[in-house]
Amino acid sequence: MHFDTLHNQFQSGKLGMWLFLGQEVLFFAALFTAYSVYRGNHTDMFHYGQYFLDWRMGGANTIVLLFSSMTAAWSVRCAQLEQRKGLLITIAITWACAATFMIIKYFEYSHKIHIGAIWGEHFHIHSFDELPLPLQEKLSHIPVPEGKTQIEAVNDYLGKGGLGLGTFFAVYFCMTGLHGIHVLVGMGLYIWLFVRAWRGRYNRKYYSSVDNIALYWHIVDLIWIFLFPLLYLIG
Amino acid sequence: MSDATAHDSHDHGHGGALPGTIGHVTSVGTLVKVFLTLVCLTLATIAVARMDFGRLNVVGALVIASIKGSIVALWFMHLRYDKRFNFFILFGSIIFLVWMVSYILFDTKMYQHDMETYRHGKTIDGKPKPE
Repeated sequence: MHFDTLHNQFQSGKLGMWLFLGQEVLFFAALFTAYSVYRGNHTDMFHYGQYFLDWRMGGANTIVLLFSSMTAAWSVRCAQLEQRKGLLITIAITWACAATFMIIKYFEYSHKIHIGAIWGEHFHIHSFDELPLPLQEKLSHIPVPEGKTQIEAVNDYLGKGGLGLGTFFAVYFCMTGLHGIHVLVGMGLYIWLFVRAWRGRYNRKYYSSVDNIALYWHIVDLIWIFLFPLLYLIG
Repeated sequence: MSDATAHDSHDHGHGGALPGTIGHVTSVGTLVKVFLTLVCLTLATIAVARMDFGRLNVVGALVIASIKGSIVALWFMHLRYDKRFNFFILFGSIIFLVWMVSYILFDTKMYQHDMETYRHGKTIDGKPKPE
């Protein structure tokens, strides 16, 4: 054994995990800075961009992640109390919640890609009917220059040279995409954890991986707690 | 939270923990209460955002998100019972995040006006932009 006591070993592993989590916060800090700068300088861009996001989907995902955070914390308790069945169930529920999160995210992404609400210069809405309803009302009387169609005028207004919604969606896809990758990594970790728990690897004195993966999962939840209102709610 | 859990710092759990358990054991009641509190705060943040407070909406959303984040960190992440050092790692990172965002925002706001002026065909002192 490399440590004086199991307690020492546990605390050292945990310290390493916390250093990693601190780094995660700084990692996302760059994206939060990009968000703040764009939002600070282009309020309209965010106001219009938000019409494309559905707060009900974002809200549902928030609840799903909060619930999974609870089951993740619960799995640590089960490991500590040597409740093997409870451990397996809580790990499975946490994984299922992560999968639900990604499925909802998939619907959100595919809809945006379908209507052409995507990043940078690729932002180009295909047809007026596919705009979100409040935006259709807002833009129904947009002046259409000679020789242009209504949707071209709308794209001129919303896209490059106009409000620059391509930048909004670049920020949106970067932030939620990087967060989504973290969720996928978490799902992988929970599969690994499930297999190890199935084999009965954990007991009240040895459950570091359950604890550290739960910590990782909580930071993923914590970042979403900020992403949700910043992107979906305050336009 | 009952006092029975508050005194616990490291080695021994409470509420039926087996002897020699490493770390703090959180009770099921606490887990459920924390979850329900977080759900209520999520509904609150949605409700607040649907009202128009102008610029205060951002402040409101960030305050509620910070409260939610603190609850997750203190209870779900066990920071309330953990070594202080781990708390300061997270706290330190957040301080750096806030510092970076503030300074860059401060900087961009300071020069944005000049950039807009320049973009509209004038130099900072109001003369026409050289071709």
